[in-house]
Amino acid sequence: MTAPTITTPVALLGVGAAAPSLRLAAKDVAGAWGSGGGRGTVALCDADEDTLTLAWQAAVRALAAAGVDVGDLSGLWWGTTRPPFAEGPSHAFLATALGLGPGATGLLCAGSPHAGMDALLAAWDALAAGHARIALVVASDALIPGVGTAGESTTGAGAAAYVLGALDPAVSGGNGSGTPARLVARATRVMAVVDRYRGDAEAATGDVYDGRLFREEVFVPLLAAVGRAAGPGEQGGAPVQWAMADPDGKLAPAVAKRLGGTLVSAPLQAALGDTGSAAALLGAIQGCAGIETPGVLGMIAYGGGRATAVTLEVARPVPGTAEAVAAVGGGRPVSYVQAIRARGQLEPMSDPIPMGVPPAGAAFVRGNVEMLAFEGAKCRICGVISTPPSIHHRCTGCGGGDLDVVALARTGRVQTFVVNQTMPPPFQAPLPMVVVDLDDGARIMVQGSPADADDLAIDDMVQLSLRLYATERGIPVYGYKAFRVAPSPGGASDEARASSGARGATDQGRNGAGRSGR
Amino acid sequence: MSWNKVAVVGAGLIKFGELFEQSYEQMAAGAFDAALANVDKGLDRRSIDAAIVATQRGTLWGQEGIGGNTVPSALGLSGIPCTRVENACPTGSDAFRIGAMVVASGVHDVVLVIGVEKMRDKSAQEGLLARAASGHPLYNRGETAPVLFAPFATRHMHEFGTTPEMLASVAVKNHHNGCLDPYAHFQNEITVDQVLASVPVCSPLRLLDCCPQTDGAAAIILTTAERAHEFTDQPIFVAGFGVATDHPYLHEKSTFVGLPATTAAAERAYAMAGVGPADIDMAEVHDCFTITEILDIEDLGFVEKGKGGPASLAGETALDGRIPINPSGGLLAKGHPIGATGVAQLTECWWQLREEAGERQVAIRSGYALQHNVGGRGSGVAVVNILTRHRT
Repeated sequence: MTAPTITTPVALLGVGAAAPSLRLAAKDVAGAWGSGGGRGTVALCDADEDTLTLAWQAAVRALAAAGVDVGDLSGLWWGTTRPPFAEGPSHAFLATALGLGPGATGLLCAGSPHAGMDALLAAWDALAAGHARIALVVASDALIPGVGTAGESTTGAGAAAYVLGALDPAVSGGNGSGTPARLVARATRVMAVVDRYRGDAEAATGDVYDGRLFREEVFVPLLAAVGRAAGPGEQGGAPVQWAMADPDGKLAPAVAKRLGGTLVSAPLQAALGDTGSAAALLGAIQGCAGIETPGVLGMIAYGGGRATAVTLEVARPVPGTAEAVAAVGGGRPVSYVQAIRARGQLEPMSDPIPMGVPPAGAAFVRGNVEMLAFEGAKCRICGVISTPPSIHHRCTGCGGGDLDVVALARTGRVQTFVVNQTMPPPFQAPLPMVVVDLDDGARIMVQGSPADADDLAIDDMVQLSLRLYATERGIPVYGYKAFRVAPSPGGASDEARASSGARGATDQGRNGAGRSGR
Repeated sequence: MSWNKVAVVGAGLIKFGELFEQSYEQMAAGAFDAALANVDKGLDRRSIDAAIVATQRGTLWGQEGIGGNTVPSALGLSGIPCTRVENACPTGSDAFRIGAMVVASGVHDVVLVIGVEKMRDKSAQEGLLARAASGHPLYNRGETAPVLFAPFATRHMHEFGTTPEMLASVAVKNHHNGCLDPYAHFQNEITVDQVLASVPVCSPLRLLDCCPQTDGAAAIILTTAERAHEFTDQPIFVAGFGVATDHPYLHEKSTFVGLPATTAAAERAYAMAGVGPADIDMAEVHDCFTITEILDIEDLGFVEKGKGGPASLAGETALDGRIPINPSGGLLAKGHPIGATGVAQLTECWWQLREEAGERQVAIRSGYALQHNVGGRGSGVAVVNILTRHRT
């Protein structure tokens, strides 16, 4: 069969992006293995980052850019080659941390770097079908390349998030002409070939194909075919700009040349490496940032023997593009040894001692949800917020028993802190521990960022971000960490407000009673 | 008018340290024998009517199910009523308080309060550090023991200008006192410079700002005020005590420059004893970290809030100072075997009030001594006991 080219448009309301904090130079990889060359850098996760935390960060930024309250979302469509739980509650964790609440719908796509595109297509279908009105799409990846493989100097990490809206009057003004951009056409082609592969229980992804053979016989023909089928080149007017995944840095230029037009995703590729599931969507954000409006942009994703092209009509600057491009810049250069340690490929011989409450335990079940959703219990009598709700059935301020569960603010100021230099595994010292007075009057204590260890001070403004606390008994454990931001008397940033979630986010009343002794 | 219904007629302890060669039971037996030996007129071990055992963490030496049944057998007292008390770092001091109430109730006349703790049978990483990740499964991740007190140092420095030198002066003083106490874990002098040059453990605290992990045991024999003279001509009386709780988690604290549980427990103890801070001749207080002693002396009313640092630096808390604090060497030098700590502090108060403390003897003027522990996650519980040599 020949798959039809879909031409039902949906609106793109805003975008966000995230990159992990570490950068590894390809020449350092080459140096470690005594081989020559290596160009550019790749982005990789620090020990407390992974595909889920990157997805969370990008999603929070996209919601802020689109001006969409998380309570108005129809669901979360997330694509990542390898979710943190191969089988498990990956989607539920991310949806809860984003504040979608217990009614979160959508789906998780995985299994190849086409997963990010799969999520986009599924959200598009739900919107077109009328089953969803506003969809949050997140494409993220933080793949682990095998030590000593070619993938080490090309495999990057990153996340892109799109807020999509149905073309109905309430969301986008009727025919979508009032929206910043529209997804107008798409085409998918498949070819049953084995290229990149990871088996069950294998930690690292490996390439199992002949580069030249596959480029000439598989990748270029397939990508060019979908690029033509989606038809951005037939829109007339300005020349098409292409954004696409590029496992080796050579494929995308070849496809763009075959299709005609400009390749706009190359700088991102050089800075972050191949971001897998996120590559096409991230590249398109970069394209949107540089495009002359109105214009046409084509994005192409490939993975697991499937290729999809999507045509994007950009009427005016898409909210969040400039911030997204800035967000993926920077990064902290690390040595090869630091990189493989951060990737979990260099570990001490001794087994870490199991810490804390077993993730299978009832206390963890209670505690995990309220941590991810970042909840407090607010007293209806005196207004004091006690955290977390599971250990407070009565108010810490007045002892009253009439409490509402609320989502906590995600910014605040440092009341006091320490830098812990003596941590048992799986923790890594130095680790700041910070008591934060949140902007809604609640007080919490959370881990801080090791990068802030030297500079942290009382009254600093901090922002909370989701991080991987540890992998315990083989299970990833997530929670929020406090990150120092420039002092800002203006209060919470847009990002923090958006990430506060629907419930309680609008209730910023200070806690007066019960804390007068501060 | 003090409470004074109950008297201490014997007290003793074993030398604290890393006692790898002794079992939990051997330590308990050693402390009991020491207390018996210190009863002036002698006391037949079969006179013990009941025992209260203070052990905070059986898990630290591998016996998860430790209860009150372990100790009597080890002491040759199998068959007597015995109950284990656990109340965080004040475990020993609360066991003493409960023992006093048992005697005062008239149910048992002669009660043994014995604190025993094995801190070093497991490695630090398997023991204290690993256990410090208890509590809420996520909110307190990374919270090792120093994290429970170091944030108070950060804030105290911020608000009152307390300096690292002031903190260090507490460790220097307590190590000096420890040199004079044959039961102390550490018997070496240190300098302010050495404290400031020791490795950072949990900034702003350094290694020598922290108490060690110490094994130990201590025992006290209580009886009624009426029967005290059967055993000694110099009984020491329980003048009063107080216990108070506070919200247990650090993020629930109303202040980071004081410990409200200490203040409330002290108020209750002072009221019960009918005395005030100015009547106290010496105090054994909870100095698990240097900052803790500074908070304690403020919260107990010995110095004004915020002045604990300068007072320590100026020597006001030294053996010959205005209010001698921790003449035994404190937790910093004598050690902190949790369940034994409070009982050992009370033993020191007993010696001091009887003026039997030798080189570390302080001047006894009013005849009152105070003992204090605070702990439990973020200082969620404090106990204060006040002893006196006055019968009424």
